[in-house]
Amino acid sequence: MAANQYDAIVIGAGHNGLVAASYLARAGKKVVILERREVVGGAAMTEEIFPGYRFTEFSYVVSLLRPEIIRDLELPKHGLKILPLPSTVTPLDNGDYLGSWDDHDLTRQEVYRHSPKDAEAYDEYSRVMARAAKAIKPIIGMVPPDPSSLSPRDLLGLLKLGQYARSLSEKELYRIAKLVTQSSADLLDEWFEFDALKGTKSASGIIGTFLGPRSPGTAYVLLHHYMGEIDGAFRAWGFAKNGTGGVSAAIANSARALGVEIRTNAPVDKVIVKGGVAAGVALQNGDELRAKVVLSAADPKRTFLQFVDSKHLPDDFVQSIKSFRVRGSSGKLNIALNALPDFTCLPGEGPLHRGAISISPSVDYIERAYDEAKYGQFSKNPYIDMIIPSMIDRDMAPPGHHVMSCFVQYAPYDIEGGWDDAKRDAFGETVISTIEKYAPNIRQCIVGKQVITPKDIERIAGITGGNIFHGELLLHQLFFFRPAPQWADFRTPLPGYYFGAAGAHPGGGVMGAPGKLAADAILKDVD
Amino acid sequence: MFELKRTPFHERTSKLSLPQNWRRWAGYIVAGSYDLVLDREYWAIRDAAALIDITPLMKYIIEGPDAAKLLHRMTPRDVLKMAVGQVFYTGWCDDDGKMLDDGTISRLSDTKFRLTSAEPSLRWLAMNAVGMDVTISEVTDQVAALSLQGPKSRMILNQVCAKPLDKLKFFRMTEAKIAGVSVTISRTGYTGDLGYEIWMPADKALTVWDALFEAGRDYGIVPCGILAMDMARVEAGLFMIDVDYTATNHAWIAGQKSTPFEMGLGWTVALDKPGYFVGRRALEREHKEGSAWRLVGLEVEWEGLEKLYASVGLPPQIPGMAIRASLPVMHNGKQIGYASTSTWSPVLKKYIALAHLQRPHHEPGTRVAMEVTVEHHRLHAPATVVKTPFYEPEWKRK
Amino acid sequence: MAAYDAIIIGAGHNGLVAANYLAKAGRKVLVFERRGIAGGQLVTESFGDGFSADSLHASAHLRPDIVRDLGLNLPAASARSPYVCLLSDGKRLTIDADLARARATIREFSAHDAERWPEFVAFMERAAAFLDAAYRTPMPRLPHFAPVREGLPLAGLLWKLRRLGGRDMFRIVRAMSMSAEEFTDNWFESDALRAAISALAIHGVTLGPMSAGTGFTLMHNWLNRGGLAHRPVANGVGTIAVALVDALKARGGDVRTSVEVQSIIVDRERATGVRLASGEEIPAPLILSAADPRHTLLKLVGAAELPPEFVWQAQSIKLRGCVAKVHVQTNGQHGLPEGTLAVAPSIRYLERAYDAAKYGEISKEPYLEVTTNGNVVSIHFQFAPHALRNPDWNAANGIVEQRAVDTLDAHCPGFKASVKRMQVITPRDLESTYGLSEGDLNHGQLILDQIFFMRPLPGWSKHATPVDGLFLCGSGVHGGGGISGASGRNAAKAVLKL
Repeated sequence: MAANQYDAIVIGAGHNGLVAASYLARAGKKVVILERREVVGGAAMTEEIFPGYRFTEFSYVVSLLRPEIIRDLELPKHGLKILPLPSTVTPLDNGDYLGSWDDHDLTRQEVYRHSPKDAEAYDEYSRVMARAAKAIKPIIGMVPPDPSSLSPRDLLGLLKLGQYARSLSEKELYRIAKLVTQSSADLLDEWFEFDALKGTKSASGIIGTFLGPRSPGTAYVLLHHYMGEIDGAFRAWGFAKNGTGGVSAAIANSARALGVEIRTNAPVDKVIVKGGVAAGVALQNGDELRAKVVLSAADPKRTFLQFVDSKHLPDDFVQSIKSFRVRGSSGKLNIALNALPDFTCLPGEGPLHRGAISISPSVDYIERAYDEAKYGQFSKNPYIDMIIPSMIDRDMAPPGHHVMSCFVQYAPYDIEGGWDDAKRDAFGETVISTIEKYAPNIRQCIVGKQVITPKDIERIAGITGGNIFHGELLLHQLFFFRPAPQWADFRTPLPGYYFGAAGAHPGGGVMGAPGKLAADAILKDVD
Repeated sequence: MFELKRTPFHERTSKLSLPQNWRRWAGYIVAGSYDLVLDREYWAIRDAAALIDITPLMKYIIEGPDAAKLLHRMTPRDVLKMAVGQVFYTGWCDDDGKMLDDGTISRLSDTKFRLTSAEPSLRWLAMNAVGMDVTISEVTDQVAALSLQGPKSRMILNQVCAKPLDKLKFFRMTEAKIAGVSVTISRTGYTGDLGYEIWMPADKALTVWDALFEAGRDYGIVPCGILAMDMARVEAGLFMIDVDYTATNHAWIAGQKSTPFEMGLGWTVALDKPGYFVGRRALEREHKEGSAWRLVGLEVEWEGLEKLYASVGLPPQIPGMAIRASLPVMHNGKQIGYASTSTWSPVLKKYIALAHLQRPHHEPGTRVAMEVTVEHHRLHAPATVVKTPFYEPEWKRK
Repeated sequence: MAAYDAIIIGAGHNGLVAANYLAKAGRKVLVFERRGIAGGQLVTESFGDGFSADSLHASAHLRPDIVRDLGLNLPAASARSPYVCLLSDGKRLTIDADLARARATIREFSAHDAERWPEFVAFMERAAAFLDAAYRTPMPRLPHFAPVREGLPLAGLLWKLRRLGGRDMFRIVRAMSMSAEEFTDNWFESDALRAAISALAIHGVTLGPMSAGTGFTLMHNWLNRGGLAHRPVANGVGTIAVALVDALKARGGDVRTSVEVQSIIVDRERATGVRLASGEEIPAPLILSAADPRHTLLKLVGAAELPPEFVWQAQSIKLRGCVAKVHVQTNGQHGLPEGTLAVAPSIRYLERAYDAAKYGEISKEPYLEVTTNGNVVSIHFQFAPHALRNPDWNAANGIVEQRAVDTLDAHCPGFKASVKRMQVITPRDLESTYGLSEGDLNHGQLILDQIFFMRPLPGWSKHATPVDGLFLCGSGVHGGGGISGASGRNAAKAVLKL
C-alpha cells in the first residue's frame, strides 16, 4: 500500500475523532488522524499555560464517557483515571451556602436545613430523574432512524425505537416527553421551593446552550447528570487525572497501540471528491492522502461548509447546515493561584475546595444573566461553575499552589461590536469580581489567568461559533435532526464521507458516543 | 455539619456499646449491639426487658379539623372510626396500590395524630393534604423514642409511671409521666412480645433513660441494639421496608413493587370504608382477582438441613443474626420466590425466614426448598410454608 | 332518576359546542353559566353609552366542520383587513392578505423576503392544516393504545404528515420546537417582517419570540385566526355565542345563566352530579366541564377526591395570564388606520416586553395589537402578568392604561387626544369576572409540554379524568387554546363513543 493510502482518514484528533479512529483500527483498518494543532485532544485538552500550572483548558469534567468505550479501548490500561468530584457547593448571598455531598444522608441533612420539604423532594426527584435517565439511555445509544425514509434500515430503526418505547411504562414515556419539552425552571418549580437549589439545578440545564432556564427544552439536559448513575461501577463522573487532556491522552495511547497514525500540525484543506464520492483529503500543505472513507470529527459547519465544496451536497442539506445553530454562549477563566481562595460561607480549607463551587443563587439570577446575552452582552452577574483541579489531582499545580477552572455563562459569541482584548479583559474582570463577592481573597491569590471567550474557543479548538457542544442542544437539533434532518445516522449526502463528533447524535460532553457510532456506521458500510 | 445525626441517647448508648458497631438509620447512627454477642440482648426481649433507642423513626404531628380525613385518605385503614388513644398499624400506597411505606398512626386527640414512618413522608403527607385544613409538622428530631420490649416491660413501667399501665390495651396509648417528664406511652413494638414505646421531648430524653434503667435493674433490663431486634421482628413475622419489600418510589422496575395484600396486610385494607383513599381502585381489583405474590413464613426442616451439611462432614451452621440477603425458594426445581430475611430463632430453635412466594405456593403447609450455602455450594434445604407470626407469646396481647 | 343526561359547566364556546353535539345526538343537556351572559370569552359587552366592544377577542371563528355539523347560522366573516406593523421610526409595514400586494409592501424592506412571502404563506397554511388535523385526532395514551380504535386515527395523522414529504414533514415538526426568532430567521432577513410574524407567535401566551416552542404557537394562532390579521365578526363575536345558544335551545337543551356550580359531587371516584352555589344538587350521570382543568379538578372536584400524584400534576399545569385588554372610547378622531395594527417593531422589542413578565412586571414597552370599530379602539396588551411581583392591581390597571395609550400615541400621534373613556380588563379581571384561573386565556399555556397528548396532562388528553363520568371539554384540553371549538367538539365525540 502506498504511503499516503489508508482505509480511513479521520479529521480532527478531539476525543471523538480519537475514539472513531481507534474503533476503526480495532477492526483492522489502516487509519490516520489529521490534527490541525500540534497537540491532540481538541476541546478535551490540558495545557501548561503558566510554568507549573496545568489548565484543563476547555472542558473540565468527565461525565458521560461511555462505559463500552472505556472497556473496548482498554482506557484504564492506557492511563485513564477518573478522580472523584464529590460535592457541589453554592455560596449564598446571605453568607450561608447550599451543599450537596456524595452521601445521601448528609445531603439530605443539608437540604433539610434550608427546606424540609425540598429535602424529601430532592430524594424523590433524584430517583425520578435516574429512572428517566435509565429509560432514555438506550435511545441515546441508538442510531437515529429517518422517519421519512422507507429504506429497510430506517424502518427497522423506527421499529426498534417503537418497540423500545412500548417496553417503557406509560409514566416513563410521559416523563421523557415532558423532560424533552419542558423548561428547567418549570420542572424545578414543580419540585422545589428553595431558590438556590433551583438555581443550581437549573444551571446544569443551560450549560452550553444559548437558552435561559425558563426556555422550554432545557429540562432535558438536566437528565445528563443522572445518566452516570446507571453506569454503576463504570460511572464516569469526575475529574480526569491530568485534566480532560488525560482522557484524550489515554484514548490517543489506545489509538496508537491499535496502530492508528496520528499526524499533528496537519490542517485539512479539502476533502477530495472523485466521481461523486469521497476519495481522500488534501492538506493545507499540499499533501494528499487517499482513502475510501473519510470521517470528520470537526464541527458540522467546517465539516460540510468548509471541507467540502457545496456543489457536492444537496442544496437542502447545505441550507440545513447553514441554519444549524452553533451560537457559543460560554467562556472560561483558568486561574493560577498561590493559595486557596477562602470562601466566606465555609472559611478555611475544606470539602468545598474538593468539589464544584457554583455561583447560581437563584433561577432568576441565571435567567437575568441570559437576558443580557440575548441582547449581545456578556452577563454582568454570570453563572460560574468552579472547580479547583489541583485539590483533586495534586499534579496540576506546584505544591502549595493551585489552579482553578471557572466555567462561565453567558458570554455570547456574537457580542455586540465583536470580541476584542478590552472586552475579554472586562469579561475576565466581571468573573473575578463576581467570585470576589464570595471569596474576598481571590484577587490576592491570582498569579496568572487565562480568559477564554467563545471566539477563543473557535480560534484555538477550531469549533465554529465556539459552542462547546459543536451545536446548541435545541430540541430540533437533537436525535434525528442532528446535524440535519435525514442525515442523523453519521452518514452524509457525500458517499464515503462520514460525520462523528459532538454535532452529531447524541451530542456533546466528553462522551465519545458520536465517534463510536460513526465508526460503527463505517464498519457496517465497508464490510 | 459533616457528620451523621446522633440521637439524644447517644451520651449513654455510646458508653454502653462494647463493639461500637454503629449502624446507619435514617440519617442517624445507632448502636448495632451493646454486647459482643447478641444473645443477652435477644433474650432480654424474650425473657426480661430490652431498651431500644428508636429515635430515628420518622415522626409527624398532623393537626387540624381535617387531620383524620387526611390519614383516612392516605392510608387504606378506616381512620374515621379510630378512637382517641388508639394506635393503628398500616401500610400506605401510591395510586397503583403499591406500598410506599408502613408505620403507625396514633390518635392523640380528635384533631391531632402522630404518624411514624420509616422513610421521610412530609412530601407525601403534603401532597395528600392539598385543599385540607390541616398542619403537618415533622418532629423526628424533637421527639425521642425508646422501645421497652419484653415480658417484664410492664412491671418496669409500673415502677416509674404515676399510674399503672395494666389497663393499657394492645395498640392503645396513654399520657404518662416518667421522672417528672411528660411522655406518651403506646403499647406497640417491633418484637412481637409484650412491649411499649415511649415518646418524649428530646431534651428530657436522658432523664427518662436513666429512670427506666434504674427501675429496670431488678427486672433484668438490658440496652438492646437493632441487630437483636432484627431477629425478634422476624420471629414476630414483621417485615422491614427496603429489606422485605421495596418502597414503590424506590423501585427501579415494576416487579420490585409490593402491595399490602401481597405483604399480608389485607386486614388493614378497608375497601368498604367511605370516601376515596389512595390506591382504592387498584386494591379493589387485586382483592377481586387475587394477589400474585404473598409474604409468608418459612420453616426450614432441620433434618433436611442437617443432611446437606452432613454430606460434607459438617454440623449445620446457621448465622447467629438475621441475614438480609435474598435466597431463592424453589418448588420442584423451579424458582417460585425468594426469602428476604432469614434468621435463627433462639426461642423456637428453628431456622426461619420471611419469603415472597408466587401463587399458589403460598398456602400454609406447602413444601418448598430454600437455598443454603454449604461449604461454598449452593444447595436447597426443604422448608414448609407456615403462618406468621412464628412466635407469639400469650402475654403479647394480654 | 336524573332529569338530565349531561350537565355542562360553563357556557363558553367550547361548552356550548359540546352541549350542541350531545343534544344533537339526542341527549338531554343542561348548561350552567356563572355569568349573566353566555359566551365565556366570546362576548361582546357594553361598557357604557355607545361604548361596546368584543371584550377579549377581536375576532373568532369556529372550525368550519363544527359550523357545518351544528348547522349554525353565523354572520359571514368580514373580508380580511391588512396587518399593519407600526415601526419605531414612524414607518409602517403593511401586510395585506392579498399576496401580490403584500409582496409589494414587503419589498420596501427586503426584496429577498418579498420573494419568499408567498412560499411562506403556503407553508404556514400547510402547517395549519396539519395542526387542524392533529386537533381532530384523539391523542392516544402512550404506549398501550388499542391498535384499531385509537391507533388508526393516529396512523392517519402520521400518514398525512408523511405525505407532506420528508422536507415539509421535517420542517413542520422542527419548526414547532423552534423559537419564532429562529423560525423566521430561516425564512426572512428583515427584522420588521420577522417581528410582525413573531408577534402572532407570542399572542396570548407568556413566551417571547426567543422562547423555544413559539414556532408552534405561531402555527396554532395562524390556524385559529386564519392568517396574520383578524377578520372581525359583524356585530361582534358575541353573535357566535348567541347562535350556539339558540341552536342548543332548538335542540331541546337548556342554558341557565347566573348559576354558579360550586362543586362536582363525587362518590368514590365517580361523578354523580353538581352542587350549585345555592346549595341545590342536580344529579346527572355525565358531567362535562368547560372550565379550565385546574379549576375543574382542584376546585370543583377537590383534591381530596383525587390521587395525590394526579393532584400534584394538576397543580403543576402552567397557567400564566399575561394579556390585558384596554378598550378605548374615542371622540372618533383616533386617526388609526383600518386593519389589525401591531406595535411589534422588532424581535428584541417583543422579547424585552416578555422579559418583564418573567419577573412579574408589566412591560414598559408593551407589545400591542389594536383593532378599531368605529369610535372604539380595542388594545390587546402584552405583557401584564397575572403573577405580579407587586400585586397592587389598582395601580396596575392605571399602569396598563397609561402604557397602552402612550405606546400607541407614540406611533400614532393624536391618538391620546381622542380618548374619552377607557375600560381595562387585566388578568385579575379575567380570573374574577371571566372565571379563568390565573387569567390564562388558553386555560393552560400553549407550551411544548402542554400540547397534544400532554394537554391538559400527560395521559389525560382524551377528555377523561380520574373521576368516572367527568370529562373536560374546555380550552385546556387537546385541540384547545384560542377560539375554535375543537376541544368542545372532541370532548362531545369522545363522550358519545362511550
